[in-house]
Amino acid sequence: MRVPETNQEITLDSALTEEAVLATYRRMFAALARDSGAVVDDPVLVDIAETLFAAFAEAGEEWLTHEQMRHACRDHPVELFENRLRVLKGLGAIREVFPKPNQLRYRASFTSVVGLMFVRRMMDDGGQSEMHRLLALEDLNVADPRTTMEEARQSAHNLARAFRLWALELITLTTGTIEELREQAPKLWGTEEIARRAQSLHGTILTRWPELDRTCTELRAAIYAYSDASRRAAGRLADSAGTTRNLTLLPAETWRTFAQTASKERLAAVLDGLVFDAPAPWHDPAAIVWAVDEAPRPAPAQPTPPRSALPDPGPADAYDPGGAAVLDRLTAMAEESLAGGDSVPLEDLLTRPGDWTTARRLLADLATVDLRPELPYRLRWSDTLTAAPGGDPAWLTHGVLERATSEPAEADQGDRP
Amino acid sequence: MTTTPQGAPPSEPAPEPAPGQGPAPTPDLADLAPETAHATAPETAHDTAHDMALNTAPEVAPDMAPGLAHALARARGPLPLPADRPAPPGMLRLASAASGVSAVPVWPDGVTPALLEEYQVAPVSVERAGEARRVLAACLKCCWTDLEADPWPGVAAPVELVLAAYRALIGRNDDLMRNWAIGALRRLHDSAWIVMSGDEVRLGPRCATWRPESHGQLRELVRRLPAADPSALLPMPPAEAGASSASAAGDADGAGWDEDLLGPYDERRRAEVVAAFMAVEHAAEPVQEVRFAALRDPALRRTVGEMLARRGRTLIQRRDRWTSGYADATAARIGTTLGETERAVLALVLVHSVAIPRAEGVLAEDTWLSPHPTPVEELRRHTQLPIGEMEAALRSLRHAGLLSQVKAGEEAGGYVPGPQFHRLTQAARRRLQEELILAAGPNTPLAAAVRARRRQQARADDIDTMERREQGDSR
Repeated sequence: MRVPETNQEITLDSALTEEAVLATYRRMFAALARDSGAVVDDPVLVDIAETLFAAFAEAGEEWLTHEQMRHACRDHPVELFENRLRVLKGLGAIREVFPKPNQLRYRASFTSVVGLMFVRRMMDDGGQSEMHRLLALEDLNVADPRTTMEEARQSAHNLARAFRLWALELITLTTGTIEELREQAPKLWGTEEIARRAQSLHGTILTRWPELDRTCTELRAAIYAYSDASRRAAGRLADSAGTTRNLTLLPAETWRTFAQTASKERLAAVLDGLVFDAPAPWHDPAAIVWAVDEAPRPAPAQPTPPRSALPDPGPADAYDPGGAAVLDRLTAMAEESLAGGDSVPLEDLLTRPGDWTTARRLLADLATVDLRPELPYRLRWSDTLTAAPGGDPAWLTHGVLERATSEPAEADQGDRP
Repeated sequence: MTTTPQGAPPSEPAPEPAPGQGPAPTPDLADLAPETAHATAPETAHDTAHDMALNTAPEVAPDMAPGLAHALARARGPLPLPADRPAPPGMLRLASAASGVSAVPVWPDGVTPALLEEYQVAPVSVERAGEARRVLAACLKCCWTDLEADPWPGVAAPVELVLAAYRALIGRNDDLMRNWAIGALRRLHDSAWIVMSGDEVRLGPRCATWRPESHGQLRELVRRLPAADPSALLPMPPAEAGASSASAAGDADGAGWDEDLLGPYDERRRAEVVAAFMAVEHAAEPVQEVRFAALRDPALRRTVGEMLARRGRTLIQRRDRWTSGYADATAARIGTTLGETERAVLALVLVHSVAIPRAEGVLAEDTWLSPHPTPVEELRRHTQLPIGEMEAALRSLRHAGLLSQVKAGEEAGGYVPGPQFHRLTQAARRRLQEELILAAGPNTPLAAAVRARRRQQARADDIDTMERREQGDSR
């Protein structure tokens, strides 16, 4: 915050300006405030604020009522939510749409959202990228012909202070525990690029306003102190770490980019001067002999089992499915069924025995007869179906058993359903 | 001990090294000359002490050569020697008309890496071991014609004849078999078991390291192997006559080199020390301390360490496991051993398998080995390396145990850093980390810190060297 340097009496105008600045500050850090007097002590409180802002963004010009806000934060306890809302309202991060009593709809402050984004980014990289941007912006500013010397002085002064604070933090870390250093330092130390940028900014200011010599000296000293602190922190880490742990200190993305873009020479240079063994497997004479003896022998994929040279009639009492006895029995059965005729209706044959057990056996025999091409009898089924509830069989498909007249094989095929 | 006392090596500049031995450019043999050795002699106290004990000619400057020679032979394969140089101690000198003079290390007390089997420790794994050994048997069948003599050097045989012998051995005759056999020949060549030049195959220097006692079973094997199908025979090259005059000259049977260290021990202790030495040098992975008495007992372990030190090696401990690696000073003198593409591929695997998992926090242990495979697709598609070169590099890295292939399902899987990474010293591992950081993030404060520390180190070293030189002058 800029404090008026002259000790003038406070006018209404200056009081208003001051109030506006303070209001911006309050809004910016409202998300981090626990109550209107202190900063949050629980990250959940920030989450509530973030959820609320997201809900406001979605609502658009509909704004949000108190109930809608509560609904958006339904995952959080109600007292926590109410407390939060009170603080946010108190700091102006959430305001009534129109400043009048009993207002039901609320809107969110843009500044607070930006502030929260900024804070989140600071958490990620400790402000490195912010510093990059800031330096780039300041560089543009001081190059702008409209910039006054006073503004340039202020900017150099601010930067010097930032660098000095940064360096102090690093130095504190460097003398602290190694674990803390390992965790925090990569967020804080600057790359050579930041130092280069800051120096170029310093150069621009000094060339344009040689009168700012003293401020620039301060800035230069701060930049050097910062670079030095960065190097010292890195040096302590490099010394303390084991033999691969420092690899963690470069982000995975840097490694990937390196692997994908580096030339063969650059990659090869990594292993310059490292000595490895030439391939020298040991082939022991015994192992050679063993390898030869155990060599896979050429052999057909599936060797045939050994066979006797004598003709093999097979087992004497083998089951003979085409035995004459079976055929005889089936022929006799069929002839008996036909009773000398050329055809006989199946429904008569199957109802004749009067009980299902016998009829079932008869049906099985008839089907066997039909399926044997060498026998001259065929079954021909019709579509008729009779039902006799209580009778035996109760369901009966009609059909005919007939003497085949044509070649058995053809008849066989023709008769198959 | 049959080693000739190591007198002064010839002081004239070393002649050109024998051609065609190592796959990598042969190390400058001037390194082995006393002048150079003198400057670095204080680096290894063990060497100095040992040489003073062994040298019968104390006026010769303490010679750093044996350690370096052994390390070179391990890093690049059999060491080419000038024709008039004796083998360094602990090495076998091999001279043949066809392949010049070279030296291979021999092991104390006549053991071979086969000793590991007795201790149930896995030796360095051999890719497609059965096939490679059958092809080696086929080479023996063709190159070892005079069964009364030792297998090495034998005679040269046409590649086609070896392939025909292999065909007769396995009874298969298809293109697949031929490709496999050629792959095995290449691997045997890379590991110096055979030497392939053009269409010729001859037995390599490593065949000379078979113990004479074991020749009997090989002889018997070669006798019963089927002869190659005569239709595959090609006329022998005319150079054959000259090669047969070659002779193995084991004029420095190095088996007694460690006598001063091993002598004081009784039989049992001595065997334990030798076993531990072989285990750390030749096992695929670091061996457990409890399995080897000479690693458990600090005094015996010290002897193992001294045996390693005179070979330019050092003991490496990781928790309760031990292995060996190049001593840092020796490694610095050997320099880079891998080809450029091999190094590039290896660096990529280190980035994907170690650096990235570590940056993402999924790799906890401080080691250069990793269970996270680098997918082959990642290497093929998303890097600047030509695919053809990469395939060849992957093959040779796999063969050398620098990469291990991980298979998982049909498509998945890839490569992880191989067991050789166990053998890096603390300094080498740190250096590897620093080089990776310097390469991937040259503008980060980390890189700046690394560079600053190296500058300091270099300055300190300079001062050190200067002081040492001054001391030497005043003496």
